[in-house]
Amino acid sequence: MEQARNYVCTECASAVPSGHKFCGACGAGVPHEAQTLETRFFGALQMPGKARLIVVRGDEAMGEGLSYLLQATEHIAGREADQIPFPSDTWLSPRHANFLYRGAKLVVRDEGSLNGVYIRVRGTAPIQIGDQFMCGQQLFRVDATPKDSSGPEADQTYFYSSPKRPSAFRITQVLEGGMDGIVCCAHEQTVQIGREECDINFPDDVYLSPRHARVEMSGESLELIDEGSQNGTYVRIRGERELSHGDYVFLGQNLLRVEVTA
Amino acid sequence: MIVCSRCSKDNQDHYKFCLGCGAELPRLSANAHPISTDTPPGGSSATGRATNASQAQAAQAEASEPELDWDRSPEEARSDSLPAELASLSDQTSPCPHCGAGVPENFRYCHVCGHDLHEHAVGAAAADAPAERVSAPAVAEALQPATVRARLVLIQPDGSEGETFPLSAGPTLIGRSSGGIFANDAYLSPEHAEFRFEDGQLVVKDMESLNGVYIRIEPDVPIELFDGSVFRVGQELLRFDGPRAPEPAPDGTQHMGSPHRGYLGRISLLVGRQTTGNSYPIPPHGIHIGRERGDVVFPEDGYVSGLHCRVHSEVGHVFLTDVGSSNGTFVRVSLESYVPAGTYVLMGQQLFRAEY
Repeated sequence: MEQARNYVCTECASAVPSGHKFCGACGAGVPHEAQTLETRFFGALQMPGKARLIVVRGDEAMGEGLSYLLQATEHIAGREADQIPFPSDTWLSPRHANFLYRGAKLVVRDEGSLNGVYIRVRGTAPIQIGDQFMCGQQLFRVDATPKDSSGPEADQTYFYSSPKRPSAFRITQVLEGGMDGIVCCAHEQTVQIGREECDINFPDDVYLSPRHARVEMSGESLELIDEGSQNGTYVRIRGERELSHGDYVFLGQNLLRVEVTA
Repeated sequence: MIVCSRCSKDNQDHYKFCLGCGAELPRLSANAHPISTDTPPGGSSATGRATNASQAQAAQAEASEPELDWDRSPEEARSDSLPAELASLSDQTSPCPHCGAGVPENFRYCHVCGHDLHEHAVGAAAADAPAERVSAPAVAEALQPATVRARLVLIQPDGSEGETFPLSAGPTLIGRSSGGIFANDAYLSPEHAEFRFEDGQLVVKDMESLNGVYIRIEPDVPIELFDGSVFRVGQELLRFDGPRAPEPAPDGTQHMGSPHRGYLGRISLLVGRQTTGNSYPIPPHGIHIGRERGDVVFPEDGYVSGLHCRVHSEVGHVFLTDVGSSNGTFVRVSLESYVPAGTYVLMGQQLFRAEY
């Protein structure tokens, strides 16, 4: 005893091979449902080439562990966004970032937000004067050393200043509310950041590693180096950035992990 | 260069104590660098000499005291650094006779203008009944022209007294253009400061000079800091800035940043006319400043004491208190200030003591 292997015509009971629209024996039509049988995914998360965002650390209202499947071509995240909303995070602009597909690539684009989009640094990343980065709960900006203006006044009086020490660049901590916090001028070519024994220390910040990251002048250019920290170092993107599986993105207080199905 | 016999650290010739271990350095070399007022301006070194004067003096004083300030344990220093005036701060205030600010009853000096309240209280009590008769001859005396009422005594790098400059009862303008001991100081403006007497107290007015007039504050007496106040610790020039924040964006987005722990403001190192170097926000419990101890340290400045001063908050205002430093903490006079007898005044690269 065997089961018929294909569709069986309801008029004449003949076997109809798959893909045929009419029965070869009696000419009766094959129903539309039977013609378009395709295997479906249990869930859309399995669709290849599509990405999802997992909220690792979230907005109070939305919670952690949520995931957003990026099924459309563009996905807006923001305080008043429909697709990826974070309604209680006042650090997010109403329309903050856009996760979009460009061909087969997933890209994140800063939609001109006030506070920007940060991506986790893998090892070492180039950084420039004016760039911002995050370590633990701390936000920093890379600043240039101001020009020295130590000539005498018109009346030949000299300005008394504290002893000057040459410095290649400086790191400025940015406090919530927008004012500057700690300013640290590079002693040699490096500023190291961490919880202890660094140039800038935050003993209270439990999300920092003891030695977390450093900014270093190498030749003419600056580098941001994550020193194998537990929670990572994040740099603010300029414009847009391609994302790949395992990337982490900070939007305001929300940390998102990018998963791309192979 | 003097090499310390105890720890082998190199010290500059004029140091009295080793920067590495605090051991006393051989005295011979201490006088190797006599002051020369016509040295080309070099910023740090030139002005270092000025402060050195009081260090030398303090060093002499310390020589008779077995206890050096860096030998004290942090607990000791911290416990005695809280001034008695603030320990039992009362809500009772009385108006300052000079500026009218409400001053807590147990303050000796007005925290706004520095007026000596104790002196006023004593004077008021004495002048209570026979006010007319006593004040008449006093006024006549004050009006006598060309009377030398006070003098500025130059304090030399080795701590000894140098030339003196007489101050009459009327206004006396000093600056590079007034010649004498002021002529060769490139850090003095041509017209730098004006001294005069007011109610029997010496007053100094900054004539919008480039580098200002600094007054040494008394140890353990808190002096209020205002937005933009400048003070000097060793060779370091520091500015206090009150808390300032930009407006949030029009769409209601707040500026993101590191946690704001209720900072009282910031202190910044001044390294140019408009430029600052390192800068630190001041948490609500305040900060200590020193060479070796404290939240902000200057390990490379030998004129800063191990623990030098602190910036702290009381009754919603921010204060600076010297915690017994050797060289003192100097506050830049904003516009004008009383100069109590015996006060050290720093102008240009020279240190003076006001005597009257």
